[in-house]
Amino acid sequence: MIHINNLSYRYPDGTLALDGVDMSIEKGEFVALIGKNGCGKTTLVRHLNALLTPTEGSISVFGMDTKNKSGVWNIRQTVGMVFQNPQTQFVGTTLEEDVAFGPENLTLPPNEIRKRVDRSLRKVGLLEYKTHAPKALSGGQMQRAAIAGVLAMEPECIVLDEVTSMLDPESRGNVLDTIQQLHQSGKTIIYVTQRIEEILPLADRIVSMNNGKIEFMGTPHKYLAYVESDIPAITNLMRKLKAKGFDVRDDVFAVDDAFLEIMKAWGMGKEVDGVDMLDGADKVNTDDG
Amino acid sequence: MDELILSYVPGTSPLHKLDPRTKLVALMVTSILVLQTATFPKLGLFAASFVLLAYLSGVGTGVFVRSIRPMLVFFTFIFLMHLFLTEGDPIFRIGVIRPTFEGLMAGTLITARFVLLILFASLLTATTRSTMITNGIERLLRSLPLKRIGLSSFDIATMMSLSIRFVPVLLDNARQIRYAQIARGLDIRHNIFRTASTTITPMIRESVSTADELATAMESRCYQGDFRTSLFELKMRAADWGVLCGIGGLAVLSYV
Repeated sequence: MIHINNLSYRYPDGTLALDGVDMSIEKGEFVALIGKNGCGKTTLVRHLNALLTPTEGSISVFGMDTKNKSGVWNIRQTVGMVFQNPQTQFVGTTLEEDVAFGPENLTLPPNEIRKRVDRSLRKVGLLEYKTHAPKALSGGQMQRAAIAGVLAMEPECIVLDEVTSMLDPESRGNVLDTIQQLHQSGKTIIYVTQRIEEILPLADRIVSMNNGKIEFMGTPHKYLAYVESDIPAITNLMRKLKAKGFDVRDDVFAVDDAFLEIMKAWGMGKEVDGVDMLDGADKVNTDDG
Repeated sequence: MDELILSYVPGTSPLHKLDPRTKLVALMVTSILVLQTATFPKLGLFAASFVLLAYLSGVGTGVFVRSIRPMLVFFTFIFLMHLFLTEGDPIFRIGVIRPTFEGLMAGTLITARFVLLILFASLLTATTRSTMITNGIERLLRSLPLKRIGLSSFDIATMMSLSIRFVPVLLDNARQIRYAQIARGLDIRHNIFRTASTTITPMIRESVSTADELATAMESRCYQGDFRTSLFELKMRAADWGVLCGIGGLAVLSYV
């Protein structure tokens, strides 16, 4: 339950980073925020936990106005934020100390901190590493640690600002799995990224920004129908097939969906039922990988 | 600097189990006593008690040797200064070089004091996690009126643990900058001053941006310097009070 009303933000040096942004985010929603470097997406999400406050307009986070200074700690506890660089957000000398940092700041008693630290580490699958020093952890493990650090504060909403951009493909997959689990457990997720492909299968809604303004808002399928360049390879293939006269949808991004569409267009859709088709699709998938 | 962090040796000895505050206070008192020791027999007594404690701690000799090693140049310097510059009965004489027996005694005594200081300190760091040391210092400082000079014990504790955390990160940054410059053809041995300036400028920029990102991350996790709790609870037990009484007694005895 986040409401952004006509939000504008001007940096002290005069640059207008956000220009009249209007948007609402529902509880439990998974929103992906995409756009080029410098389009204002980071500036926008930094408003969500009052790291920045609007030059014009307003934001209400679960009923709290971010301009109200006395509510800042409640807002930051409600909206947790994970950043891009794994190194510079890891503040503890060991994993468990880092996860404990937030609860310590909330002045919880030691036994409660211990409970939350262990619970959060179990959720991200790092409990067995809890006494490890940061240099014994991979980038992906450190990002999951950062997520655990936010979870330990028991937020309603988690903002992830390009958290996979410094990771290798395997770590990226692990981090995305963790995020998906959090979403399934009911957390509101706001995910900032430049990689459209990683987020299409996960997000409920795509919000695309340009020059401090929102230029598109809608489901992943609608986004693909709207956008021209920088689309997944599968979507590109479907577009080419459609241009050649095949009767296929060109707003799909998953291998399975594309496979079904192509089979249907080939006239095999009526003879083979969907389940068999999907088995075939899986096989195609594994052959690829 | 890695050794600063790695010097902790996990264990379950009586020394490991003591409260960090007890160990910190004991170390402070012991340091003062060692520095005031003027005779060899007394120093021998401290050395013997160190050996006993080191044995009790179950920490290997290697850790202590490693704690002394970086200071060897300093120790040698101090020793030679005293040996050659103290007035007294010369051992031999070559021109102005004139080591004296008094110098030998004074040099040995002072060097031995420093060695003992380092050894007792490394006994603390080897048996106490850095977090616990930080926590201990925070709790000891909490009673002081730091607020008047605009500080809180929590700020100091956070600064300490962040230093421990980020010194290796900054060293790593420095190494990367150096590699980047070597890759672009900078000969480090050729001109030490140029190297220094070309390394230091990006180092500072890098450190400032690291600090900025860190501050943002800390702020978004509700950091506020005036009060926080800790994952680790500190508890004074009977053994702690025993050790403190013992140390106190020793301090009184040494003045009598």
